[in-house]
Amino acid sequence: MLETENLTYWYTNQADYLFQGEHLQFEPGHSYAIVGQSGSGKTTMVSLLAGLDTPKAGTIRIDGQDIAQIGLAHYRRRKVSVVFQAFNLFTYMSALENLMTAMAITKAAHAGDQAFAQAMLQRLGLTDEQMRQNVQRLSGGQQQRVAIARTMVCDAPLVVADEPTGNLDEANTDEVIALFNQIAHEQGKCVIIVTHEPSVAAQCDGVLRLAHRTFTWEKTPAPQLAKKG
Amino acid sequence: MNFMKRAWLNLIAKKGRSLLLILVTGAIMLFVMAGLLIKSAASQAVASAKNSVGATITLTANRQAAFKKMRSSNASSGQPGKRPSLSLDPVKLSTVKQIARLKNVAGYTTTVSAAANAKSFEAISTSSSAQGPAGPGGASSGDITISGVSSTSGSTSFAAGKAKITKGRGLKTSDRGTNNVVIESELATQNSLKVGDTITVKATSGTKKTHSLKIVGIYQAASTAAASMGPGASDPANTIFTSDTLANTLKGSKYKDTADSVVFTVSAPSKVAAVKKQAAKLISSKYSLSLDDQNYQMVKSSMGSVTSFADKVVWLVAIAGTIILALIVILMIRERRYEIGILMAMGESRFKIIAQFFVELFAVLLVGVGIATAGGSYVGGKLADQVVASAATNTSQTAGQVLGSKTGGPAGQAPSGGGPSGQMPGAADAARATQAKQQAKLTVKVTAKAVAILFGLGLAIILLAILAAAAGILRLQPKLILIQ
Repeated sequence: MLETENLTYWYTNQADYLFQGEHLQFEPGHSYAIVGQSGSGKTTMVSLLAGLDTPKAGTIRIDGQDIAQIGLAHYRRRKVSVVFQAFNLFTYMSALENLMTAMAITKAAHAGDQAFAQAMLQRLGLTDEQMRQNVQRLSGGQQQRVAIARTMVCDAPLVVADEPTGNLDEANTDEVIALFNQIAHEQGKCVIIVTHEPSVAAQCDGVLRLAHRTFTWEKTPAPQLAKKG
Repeated sequence: MNFMKRAWLNLIAKKGRSLLLILVTGAIMLFVMAGLLIKSAASQAVASAKNSVGATITLTANRQAAFKKMRSSNASSGQPGKRPSLSLDPVKLSTVKQIARLKNVAGYTTTVSAAANAKSFEAISTSSSAQGPAGPGGASSGDITISGVSSTSGSTSFAAGKAKITKGRGLKTSDRGTNNVVIESELATQNSLKVGDTITVKATSGTKKTHSLKIVGIYQAASTAAASMGPGASDPANTIFTSDTLANTLKGSKYKDTADSVVFTVSAPSKVAAVKKQAAKLISSKYSLSLDDQNYQMVKSSMGSVTSFADKVVWLVAIAGTIILALIVILMIRERRYEIGILMAMGESRFKIIAQFFVELFAVLLVGVGIATAGGSYVGGKLADQVVASAATNTSQTAGQVLGSKTGGPAGQAPSGGGPSGQMPGAADAARATQAKQQAKLTVKVTAKAVAILFGLGLAIILLAILAAAAGILRLQPKLILIQ
């Protein structure tokens, strides 16, 4: 479903590449963890997969289509949903308004359906009062749940999360990862999570490690998902 | 249309910031509006001056031609020792009527100067007025100056406020052919004369007959009139206003249906030159036409400096306002770069991101323009008062300089535009300066055009500021925006 071909990236000097010639494949209905040391290039990889940046070389395909040809803005709007460590919610809106806005921008099937957004937030444990409050008045765990709910109400088949549990305690971390697995297993989406926490990685279906400028599968959800070549 | 909802939510959520932005925008818009209003009011004042201040053309005997004729006749007579005599041809009323029929000529007033000697009363004598000088039109000297006018209200002295009726009434065109007169209050007091009394004067030329005159009004001359007397001039209190026909009778039968000078009022000062050109075709070289559009020129000059100031205010405030507002908008947008990053990460189009900021600032601008519209008249009015006061002072100084430069004229000769004998040339200029000051008052009023211009200017400012601020951010990849 999502695959990279000969994916290469460097910042200023080609010789100091972060990774080079990577061929990776991610399937829908599974959750994947990308692990590695700080500064190794994990975030860069998910940024490329999310269409937030462009590779120096190689291509990324979704359902066989090069995302550069689709158009990165269109790709981000319709194909991918991103969750960040800092939640990245609109701070001048309530939780409900955040979801409604995301649905409107991504032209989701339920765009404009407030009841649907409310039901999703309720499902993720927010009360009516909490979902109508400004998001800055919610706790970190609640804000992250709002960010996850945002990915759930949008129709993007790919969910990319960069250290989504970085600001959460252990209990909230487990809840959030459970939600991501729910998205993958119940909604059939492909979830890719960047994390430095082994406990988080352990809960995912597949684990990809970036070490020595090379990606290696540590755990695969199925044999066909192993790194090509 | 989600960007509009986002804009609204942002404005509502950040009330303090929105309010500050409204106040700053309102203040800038208020001053730009004030400038626009002053400029517009100044232009309107000039246009209004064109129609209301009026311009005149004076028809008199051509003195240059008369002097030339006098010199040539003197030479041809073969008597070089003989004292030369200047003969000025009075203006024929038939010619005047022809000119009056021209397009844009609103009306005319005639002036006839004559002299007479008081018979049934005593003229006021001053140390320098034992003998009055010969008036224009060949009038012989006398202790009373007769100023024949078609109406007192149309005469320069009354029009300029240098003389005003205190008892009875002034002369009207219906007084032509009668012996009705208006005398000065000092002359009336001195001789215990009142409205309804009859006085007698003796003509100093023509048949030198005695004429009975009926007092229908008493006027008071401005106190400055005496101070402005030329040497040898009759005291201004000795000036008696009569109808032009009576003045002609006193001068002699050959002056029937003539006038010393005629002042034509032109309805539009912009047409004064064209009217003069047409009138010139109707008169012979014995006469001359002179323009008098000083009122208009004074108002124009005064308003010119006001317009210039308003222009500077508009440009300075517009430039300073653009810079201030642009900097605020740039700071505001840069502060929201993370939000831009989130929107871009969601795939929102750059156009809609800019549109959101535009809608936010558009709403702020609407309120700002509202403030400017509400307060524009007040602020513009206060500013205009200051500027006009300054401009009017300059105008008075200019008029004073003009006045000073005109005091060298021959005594007893009426200045262009007419006036009683003995009144110094330049007094009319001072009167004009006063009138120009009055005309220079600005009516600062908010107009739909000014609001539209202000709104357009505001739109241009915010659009430029948004583009300048957002361009640097929107060209970046979302990842870079979110990381930074």
